[in-house]
Amino acid sequence: MTTVSARKDIIIHVATVMIEELKLEDVTPETFNPDIDLVDEIGIDSMDLATVALVLQDEYGMRFDEDDYPKLTTIRLIAEYIEKELK
Amino acid sequence: MGNQAFASHNIQEKKWKFSEIISDPEVLNRWEKTRKFFFLRESTYDMSNRCNIRCEGCYYFEGEKQFAKENQDPLSWSALMKSEKERGITYVVLAGAEPSMVPDLLHTCFQEIPLGCIATNGLKQIPRAIDYTVHISVWGNDETSFSIRKAKNMLKTQIENYKNDPRAIFVYTFTRENIDEVYEVARMLVENDCVLTFNMFSAPVGYEGHLRHTEESLVHTRKAMLELLEKYPENVLFSHYNAVAHTHTKGLHELYSCSYPRLNPSTDIGLGRSFRHYRADLNWNRDMACCVPDTDCADCRHYAAGSAVVTARLFRHATHPEIFKAWLDYVDTYLSVWVRGYKKEANLCNYLVPPPGIEPDRKI
Repeated sequence: MTTVSARKDIIIHVATVMIEELKLEDVTPETFNPDIDLVDEIGIDSMDLATVALVLQDEYGMRFDEDDYPKLTTIRLIAEYIEKELK
Repeated sequence: MGNQAFASHNIQEKKWKFSEIISDPEVLNRWEKTRKFFFLRESTYDMSNRCNIRCEGCYYFEGEKQFAKENQDPLSWSALMKSEKERGITYVVLAGAEPSMVPDLLHTCFQEIPLGCIATNGLKQIPRAIDYTVHISVWGNDETSFSIRKAKNMLKTQIENYKNDPRAIFVYTFTRENIDEVYEVARMLVENDCVLTFNMFSAPVGYEGHLRHTEESLVHTRKAMLELLEKYPENVLFSHYNAVAHTHTKGLHELYSCSYPRLNPSTDIGLGRSFRHYRADLNWNRDMACCVPDTDCADCRHYAAGSAVVTARLFRHATHPEIFKAWLDYVDTYLSVWVRGYKKEANLCNYLVPPPGIEPDRKI
């Protein structure tokens, strides 16, 4: 239960960073579908993803591997990656 | 610290947070200014298979693309641009063989996608209504141009055609043999209020001729670039980090891992996913797709390649304030060279910083 709750918190926070950094409109952290494909359906590119990754690194005190972050194309995948790095 | 010395700080001294790196107001402002253009998604288009000159070492007349049959139908081009827009392309590079031969097609492209660049030899004026950046290739003084490009009074003609044109960026390509001529050419351009940037001759596949750079010519070129950057800061669009990246002993691919499809099998995100190079017949081939096809990748130091490849490596440059400043200078330079109306600021890092993870290759 704690794990599920923690992951949900991370998902909400990743969504918040994504919305703020990329200035996304018409979506809130709570309504942001964590499984939507950020590349195909939101249209974000590698520079956007790198920007978000840099901010998340700071906030969670972890590091994304440069080879990994381009593959993290949904909010859920990003949240799972952060969770794994924090363990 | 000397202007040409490598930064003496130890770049491994601590693990920097990104928020710390951008805490300097000047850096933050530059970051915010440049990141507004992260929406640019480029592809490249050969507009015709004709040119009004024939240069030694020309990329267009290498490989199969030169034999593509021209499609001169404006409706086909308009349809292509519409479909490109739909798949997210926001920036077009109109190149080979010589785009000024087909002004109507250039106009068709401009009507659909208003951000872009035309790479031309500058001998024929491109109508002002086509408000793309215009890159005019310069390979030396008139004597050298006549020898390599078989065109008389080339620089004089280029300047006459474009000296009062805000679209124009003169691109001086350093070969092994024209390095010292750049001082004379730069002076002439500056006297005519022209702006210039630098390119490096990067050998086409199989080319072993006299234009190909050597270790000695790379050192010599870097010195000339830095001297002119210092002498004409208002006219020369460049930075110390540009000089490092483009005159390093290692080519761009070895330094930054080229992300164009030709060398990048990944289609997850970025250039490997979105970039296409259309031939004059409007077909494209992923295996060949890069900004300067038929270049020997190991020798590639081309300015167009660097503009995408170095810029795309935000993540690996965001590790230290000095490295990030150098990268911001590079991005600021890239935008000023490629985007109409973008004004370059003074460089933030006026010394030589090695690419991330790479030892300094030499003292200057």
